[in-house]
Amino acid sequence: MKKFLNKAEDFVDEMLEGIYAAHPSQVGYVAEDKRCLVSKNLVKGKVGIATGGGSGHLPLFLGYVGKGLLDGCAVGGVFQSPSADQMFEVTKAIDQGAGVLYVYGNYTGDILNFDMAIEMAEIENIEVLSVVGNDDVASSPPGQEHKRRGVAGIVFVYKAAGAAAAEGMSLLEVKRVAEKARANTRTMGVALSSCIVPEIGHATFAIGETEMEIGMGIHGEPGIRRGALMPADAVIEEMLRPIFAEHPLGAGDEVAVLVNGLGATPKEELYILFRKVASVLKERGVSVFHAYVGEFATAMEMAGASVSLLQLDDELKRLIAAPASSPFFVQNQV
Amino acid sequence: MQTIDKGALPGLFERLRDVFATQRDFLIDLDGKVGDSDLGITMNKAFTAAAASVAANTADPIGKTLQLAGMAIAKAAPSTMGTLTATGFMRGGKALLESAAVDTAEMAAFWRAYHDGVVERGKAKPGDKTLIDVLGPIVASLESSAASGSALPDAMQRATDTAAAALEATKTMVAQHGKAACFQEKSLGLQDAGATVGFFIIDTMRGYVAQDAFATKDKIE
Repeated sequence: MKKFLNKAEDFVDEMLEGIYAAHPSQVGYVAEDKRCLVSKNLVKGKVGIATGGGSGHLPLFLGYVGKGLLDGCAVGGVFQSPSADQMFEVTKAIDQGAGVLYVYGNYTGDILNFDMAIEMAEIENIEVLSVVGNDDVASSPPGQEHKRRGVAGIVFVYKAAGAAAAEGMSLLEVKRVAEKARANTRTMGVALSSCIVPEIGHATFAIGETEMEIGMGIHGEPGIRRGALMPADAVIEEMLRPIFAEHPLGAGDEVAVLVNGLGATPKEELYILFRKVASVLKERGVSVFHAYVGEFATAMEMAGASVSLLQLDDELKRLIAAPASSPFFVQNQV
Repeated sequence: MQTIDKGALPGLFERLRDVFATQRDFLIDLDGKVGDSDLGITMNKAFTAAAASVAANTADPIGKTLQLAGMAIAKAAPSTMGTLTATGFMRGGKALLESAAVDTAEMAAFWRAYHDGVVERGKAKPGDKTLIDVLGPIVASLESSAASGSALPDAMQRATDTAAAALEATKTMVAQHGKAACFQEKSLGLQDAGATVGFFIIDTMRGYVAQDAFATKDKIE
């Protein structure tokens, strides 16, 4: 293991200390707990949106707390769920009288704790609804979407729901928008190397120098196929195939595209991948309304990438196009 | 004690706190055989926090007091078992929001809601060697006592006897959930640690209602 660390057990808290020191006008924390991160720019009367999940995925999850995006985030240990109480503290802090929506990824620990936090909020008379991200096509077959993991495509859900809340939509409307964005999003990933959890100190899994694993999850969960690394264009063709199989996109359709690096893959390579995504979409007659290329949801130092497609309608176009800013995500009006 | 009213609640939670302090090392040993041995520590923290919450809560009626005790458990013990126990008390409390005191019917309602909350959250089935395997029989016993109009002390005695037999039966089961599931066959012959927690809670309530002198058995072999 070769990481910039003081003590492995301080990894998350020292990361948070750095974030609060770097961005004091944008984010702070409540309940004397650094892991209860809340926006410094809460808006009275607006629906609050909270997320949460394990650390090790920056900019996910806390990086999307900002204007036009989310209002708070409960931060867990590396690849571990935060506690229900931390979620509840964030919920209390961000409720501005219009209720709170939880948007988080489909993982057992997170579901357990967010559901628990909803019950705690109910006792305090705060209305909370939730939308669980499950965009990873590789993790379960069609018809079993409820078992799918949440990965980089959740950024589209954040963006759409965040813009909807900023427009002044009600809690039910923001939830409807988040569900639509989720239903229209599909993601496939590919890994080239493992991540290392600081407190464990060695690679989570072994993978050969010349191998890739299609469909691997952002914690190193097994994918669909392991084989020899292929040329970039062939990798993209293989990744897009299952997405198109269940979500056929064709002439006249419009999408937002997110090509995401998993931590150790350079942007140059991400653009080589995007180049092929763009050409495949063009062949199908699908137009790209907006493209995001960079790191949006990582797995520590894992090398690899994911591709997410969001099929757009007029409402989602307007919400994706809206400006947004957080310490990790800045977008001008498209 | 024919009913547990709000005034009797702090005494009950003091007992629960003391039981889980006494049983801390026993639960650590039991859990350590097939888990990560944090159960004793978790439950000790959980009921220390719950007792403090109930003692400090002079304003709320019994149901809300139980809900807030559940929230205190969630805060103090954010592990799986802590969260399930917190859910149990929050749901049990919710079932008693209209109640002024707990008699047999209300005790049955509390445990029904406790059980249903744990099932919903933990997603375990009967026979999976979990807390559910003790909670299910407790609920069935209390509901039958409520239907036949039994007084609370008799109902609690029967529920506790049922729970003891149910706990014994978990020795014949193979773990399907949590870290214990990794040990599978190795868990055979051992009573489930989570189910043991359920037994301790009902037995403590029984002892309090019966106004036994506080003397929990050191170990349940």
